[in-house]
Amino acid sequence: MNEVEIQKKSLSGVQRIIVILWLSFVMAGIATGVFFAAIDPDALSPCVTFPEVSRSGAYTIGFLLFWLLTASSSLLTSYFLYSKS
Amino acid sequence: MNNKGSAKKSQLDADVEQTLYAKRQKIYPREVHGKFASLRVLAVVVLLGLFYGLPWLQWAGRQAVLLDLPARKFYFFGLTLWPQDFIFLAFLLIIAGLSLFFFTTLAGRLWCGYACPQTVWTEIFMWIEHWIEGDRQQQMKLDKAPLSASKFRIKFTKHAAWILFAAFTGLTFVAYFTPLRDLAQRLLSFDLSPTETFWVFFYGFATYGNAGWMREQVCLHMCPYARFQSAMFDNDTLIVAYDEERGEPRGARKRKVDYKSEGLGDCINCTMCVQVCPTGIDIRNGLQYECIGCSACIDVCDDVMEKMGYAKGLIRYTTQNAVTGQESKILRPRIVAYLVILLAFIGTLAYMIATRVPLELDVIRDRNALFRETGEGLIENVYTLKVVNMDDYDHEYTLKAEGMEGMKLFIESEKISVKGGEVLDLPIRLRVDEADIKQRSTTIHFVLTAIDNEELKVTEEARFLGPRQ
Repeated sequence: MNEVEIQKKSLSGVQRIIVILWLSFVMAGIATGVFFAAIDPDALSPCVTFPEVSRSGAYTIGFLLFWLLTASSSLLTSYFLYSKS
Repeated sequence: MNNKGSAKKSQLDADVEQTLYAKRQKIYPREVHGKFASLRVLAVVVLLGLFYGLPWLQWAGRQAVLLDLPARKFYFFGLTLWPQDFIFLAFLLIIAGLSLFFFTTLAGRLWCGYACPQTVWTEIFMWIEHWIEGDRQQQMKLDKAPLSASKFRIKFTKHAAWILFAAFTGLTFVAYFTPLRDLAQRLLSFDLSPTETFWVFFYGFATYGNAGWMREQVCLHMCPYARFQSAMFDNDTLIVAYDEERGEPRGARKRKVDYKSEGLGDCINCTMCVQVCPTGIDIRNGLQYECIGCSACIDVCDDVMEKMGYAKGLIRYTTQNAVTGQESKILRPRIVAYLVILLAFIGTLAYMIATRVPLELDVIRDRNALFRETGEGLIENVYTLKVVNMDDYDHEYTLKAEGMEGMKLFIESEKISVKGGEVLDLPIRLRVDEADIKQRSTTIHFVLTAIDNEELKVTEEARFLGPRQ
């Protein structure tokens, strides 16, 4: 693919954000599944000084943190790939 | 493909590119009837029937399929899985992935055309649309018409029906995580928890948005599979293709005139194949990544061919090799390899589930002291055992420690009883005569056996620490 075609195929700003958020959402879902399969949030509670959080609450927080992580990674990748021009 | 064709294709590509990345043009797929459309209806009924029906099924006094996240237990009919059984899920995902590879190589985008939730739900939403707004012509006319009371009423009815159906879908989704009977009761008394409410809305909104509004856009822009599936294609993969040789030159003709003498091909250029296409492409331009292999164009073109008295199959399932006049092979190294690996994984998973022991033992050493010397000159190690009874029934177990001579086990009671589905923390002590200790760290084994069932038995390795010799 040459430069022009890449330009033509590249996405607009909003579309890029949607792609970043959507794919990182999927990846965060997988990561949350693997993480909480191995670790019971209730078993963590002595080590964490958070106010009391239920298991479902811990899953939610875990998922959002993973999403933040995966989305940041995708965002930075996208930024460094496309910011030259 | 000839030069003219590819020139046309790139022109079309540019058009599509513009509509996609600038403003999306709404696609009004015409309704299709035929062999493959019936197959898709069957897929819709079976798959959505499973999705909406499963939560209503009961098994031994509980919901047959339930992923109880807060309790960290996963019920599949007679099987209760724990997070420790995550390996099963990993295997299941690998099997799903391999099946996708296998079927894509064999028969192209079968998944997209018949089984993908996006396709299946879009189909339902289009039925609702068709039922309320009428056929393709009526829909287009309605959208062009200025806003009037009657247009508003029709649109309002359609969206209300969509939203109702989407909400029901969201509720069903949540029912895989919270028992449906309980959920339905609390819904009627407006007593859903914030998490449940959120997920009903989230999944419902996603269904409404994806199946009602986004449709083919999901396949074109959001789906990773749509992007990489072509990598699994080879020249023997089943594809939906237009027989250019037979169809061209296309054109309108009078029924009574011999069209062949006028130099025309079999394609009468009725554009039905374009009108039925859910992604709005023209299959006559060759294989395109937008084609989800739904075969609506095959059905409609066969109809037209029949009416014209021509042979069916101007657009048909075929392979690249068949199109270019070569022999198509079903069995080829890639297919065989995928199949062998796939069967190996399925076999292993089945074996693992069949031989699964619903009992787990974790050994945690006392963190405070490596070992302790008792008054009688014995060396003592302290452990906490976690006994996880993953069975649905209560059991009593006996514990043995093996691996060193003269090792004595001190435990609160001979019989360890753990209720079905519960975890017991069991503090124990092991004592060994110092003379029997050969090295600083010795490998020992704890053996836990159910009294009522010899097969319920686990062995767990641990270390016994002593003074330096």
